[in-house]
Amino acid sequence: MKKYRGLIGILASGLLIFVSLSFVPGGIDLGFATLNTPSFAETLFGRPKEVKSDQGTPSPADASGAATPAPTGVKPRQAPMDTTAKTILFFGDSMLEGLGPRLAAYAQENGHTLVNVIWYSSTSEVWGNSTRLKQHLDEVRPNYVFISLGGNELFVSDIKRKRQKYVDTILQQIGDIPYVWIGPPNWKPDTGINDMLQESCRPGCFFLSNGQHFDRAKDGAHPTRKSAAAWCDRICKWVMTQSAHPIRLNPPVAEKGKCRTIMYSPQR
Amino acid sequence: MLDYSLSTLWHNLLAQLSFAPDQPLMFSSGLFWVLFLLFLPVYALVKSKRKQMLMFVTAFSLLCFYKSSGWHLLLMVATGVIDWMLARRIAASASVSVRRLFLILSITCSLGILLAFKYGNFILLNVDVIIGRNFQPLDIVLPVGISFYTFRTISYVVDVYKRKLQPTDSLLEYLFFISFFPCMIAGPIVRATELFPQIRANKPATRSMIYGGLWLILLGVLKKAVVADYVGQYVTIAFGNPVGYSGLELLMALLGYSVQLYCDFSGYSDMAIGIASVMGFRLPINFDFPYRSLNFTEFWRRWHITLSSWLRDYVYISLGGNRHGKARQYLNLMVTMLVGGLWHGAAWTFVIWGACHGLALCVHKACKPWLSRLPEAGWVRFVSWLVTFATITLLWALFRADSLHSALEIYKGVFTRFDIAYLPVFAHVRNTWCIVMVLAFALHFLPQDIWSQFRRRFIRSRWWVKLVALIMVVQLVLQFANADIQPLIYAQF
Repeated sequence: MKKYRGLIGILASGLLIFVSLSFVPGGIDLGFATLNTPSFAETLFGRPKEVKSDQGTPSPADASGAATPAPTGVKPRQAPMDTTAKTILFFGDSMLEGLGPRLAAYAQENGHTLVNVIWYSSTSEVWGNSTRLKQHLDEVRPNYVFISLGGNELFVSDIKRKRQKYVDTILQQIGDIPYVWIGPPNWKPDTGINDMLQESCRPGCFFLSNGQHFDRAKDGAHPTRKSAAAWCDRICKWVMTQSAHPIRLNPPVAEKGKCRTIMYSPQR
Repeated sequence: MLDYSLSTLWHNLLAQLSFAPDQPLMFSSGLFWVLFLLFLPVYALVKSKRKQMLMFVTAFSLLCFYKSSGWHLLLMVATGVIDWMLARRIAASASVSVRRLFLILSITCSLGILLAFKYGNFILLNVDVIIGRNFQPLDIVLPVGISFYTFRTISYVVDVYKRKLQPTDSLLEYLFFISFFPCMIAGPIVRATELFPQIRANKPATRSMIYGGLWLILLGVLKKAVVADYVGQYVTIAFGNPVGYSGLELLMALLGYSVQLYCDFSGYSDMAIGIASVMGFRLPINFDFPYRSLNFTEFWRRWHITLSSWLRDYVYISLGGNRHGKARQYLNLMVTMLVGGLWHGAAWTFVIWGACHGLALCVHKACKPWLSRLPEAGWVRFVSWLVTFATITLLWALFRADSLHSALEIYKGVFTRFDIAYLPVFAHVRNTWCIVMVLAFALHFLPQDIWSQFRRRFIRSRWWVKLVALIMVVQLVLQFANADIQPLIYAQF
C-alpha cells in the first residue's frame, strides 16, 4: 500500500482540481486565452435528458422522387398559410450560392423581399460568436428567416457540447420571427449536427436535407446549381405544406431571381 | 443547469456505468480514471494476496468489458472456460490425434466466434455478390477487443499443444489472463508465456515501475487524445470527400493519417503498458519508432510488434516459414500478411493493404543480397527511409478509406492534382495542424537516449513535478478537445 500512496495522492489531487474546475461553466477566461474546463459536474449533476414527445421533423417534400427520410415524432400543428408579402433574411454558409438565386426567384414570384447573406465557410460557431446576425436582423427587420448552416460541421466530434450554445444563440437572436433552418446536404454521415439542429429548432422549423439525392459539383460537397435549385424547390414546397409557419412560395417561372446579396470572406 | 439532488447524481452515476456500445470505456476518458483511482487503493491492499488480487482484477476487468460490450462478456467468459478445459485435455492426452482434435476444436471455436461477429456481414455481402441473393446485413454489435482476446486464447492453446507451456489448473488465473483490462481494448497481444510467470511470482511493483508507468500513461494520453484526435479531424474531412481537395491537401491528409494512426495506436498501447506497469506487470512493447524504418522487414519489427510476432509464430512459421525454399517462403509471407490485413478489418481494402505489404516484404527479401552490397552511406540510408516511408504512407490510404473507390480517388488526387504552390497557403490556413504535425515527426525522430533520460528524470522527480505534468497533460487534452478543424468548403460554382 505504501508504494502506491504517492501515485494515489497525485491522481486524487489531479482529479480534485479538475472536478472543482468543472463547476466553472464555459471555461476560465485568462484574457489572452480561455482555459477549457472538464465536464465532470455536468456528467454528475446534469439533468437527465427528457425525450420530447411533441418534437419532430416532418419529412421534406419529395418533389423530385428523391429519397425521403422517415418522419420522426409527431407532426407539428400547422398554422394556416400566411399569404402576406414577407421580408425574408436568408443567411448561412456557401450553400446559399446554390439556394439563394432560386429562392430569389420564389421571392419575386410571390411578392416577397429577400436579402441573402453568405458567409463563406461559416459555421454555427462563427455566426454565434459574431454580432453580424444581430446587425442584419436590425437592418433588414425580416419577418421570416431562412438559415442554411451545418455543412462545415458535419464531422465535428462531440458536437452537442461544442456547438449547442452557438445554435441556441442564433435561435435566441432570431427570437419570435418565424424561421426555417435548412439542414446540410450530407455527402458523408455526420457526427450529430442534424440531430442537434432537429432537437434545437421548434417543431416544423427544421428541414432535414440529409438522405435526399443531390448531384454534386466538382468539389464533391456542394450540390450542382441544378440540384441546388431542385433542393430549393423541395424546401419551398415543404414550407408551404408542412412547416410550422407556411408562407406563399408558389413555384416561379424564372429559374433564378435577383436580390440584395451580401458576402463575407471566410474567417481565418 | 445543474441539479445537486442525490437522485440526479445516482441516476447519472448509473448511466455512466451502464453498457453504452457507442461509448466504450477508453483509457483516455475521465470515467476510466475515476474508476482506476477507486481501483488502485483496493488493488494496493490485495496485491500481496495472490488469489484476492486475481479475483479483484478479474472482476474489475469484467466490469470494464461490460461497460463497453454489455453481456457479450459472457461470450468471452464462455470462450475462456472452453479453451481452459480443452488446453488441460490437450496437455493430459498422450495421443497425438486426440491432442490435435482438441486443438482444432479450440481454434474452430475461437475463430468461429470471431468470424461470426467480425466477418459475418463481410462474408454475407460477398456471398450476396457471388450468388446474387438479396441478403440484408445482420445487426451485429462487435464485442470490444474480440480480435485481441481471440489471438491471446489461440496462442495459449497452441503453446500448450506444442508443449511450450504448462496449462494452468486455475480457471481464475486463465480468466485473469484473457480479460486483463489494460490490454482488453487494443492490446498488446500479451501471451500466456509472458503473463503467467508474473502472475505466479506476484512481485510487488517497484517505484520505477509505478512512476515509469505514469510516465507512459501521460505520454500515451498526449499521443492519443491530443495529437491523434486533433490531426485526425482534418484526415476525416479530406478522406470524407477526396474529390473536393487538391493533391497537396490529400498528400497532407495521408501524412496526417500516418501520424494519427501511429499516435492513436501506440498511444493506447503506451497507456496499457503503463497501467500494467503501475500494477506491477511488464507487458511487451508494441511500437518501437516504426517510421524510422529503412525497409519493410524492419517496419514490421517496429510496428504493432505483438501482432507481427504473433503472425510470425502462429501463421508464418506454422506454414513452413523459410524452410521450404524461396518460392514457398514468399507464398507464406503473402498468406501471413493477408491474414494480418484481414485481422485489421472486414473489408477488401484491408485485404489489399495486407497483400501490398506482403508483396513489399517479398520484394525486400528478394532484393536483400543486392541491397546488402550498397554502401553504409548517409544518402543510402536516407533514400531507403524515404522509399519505405513514402510507400507505407501511400498504403495507409487503403487502410483508412471506406472503399476502394475512395482510396483510388485519393491516389488520383495526389498524382494528378498536386501543386506545391498550395503549400504556403495550406500552412497559413492550417497553421496549428502543421505545427502539431512537425512536432510529432520531430519527437518521433528524437534519439532514444533522450527519451530514456526524460523517463528517468520523471521517475526521480518530486511529487509536485509529477502532479504539474499530469495537470498540464489533462489541460492540453481539454484545450485540443475543443479545437476544431474546418473543412473550409466554399464557392466552387
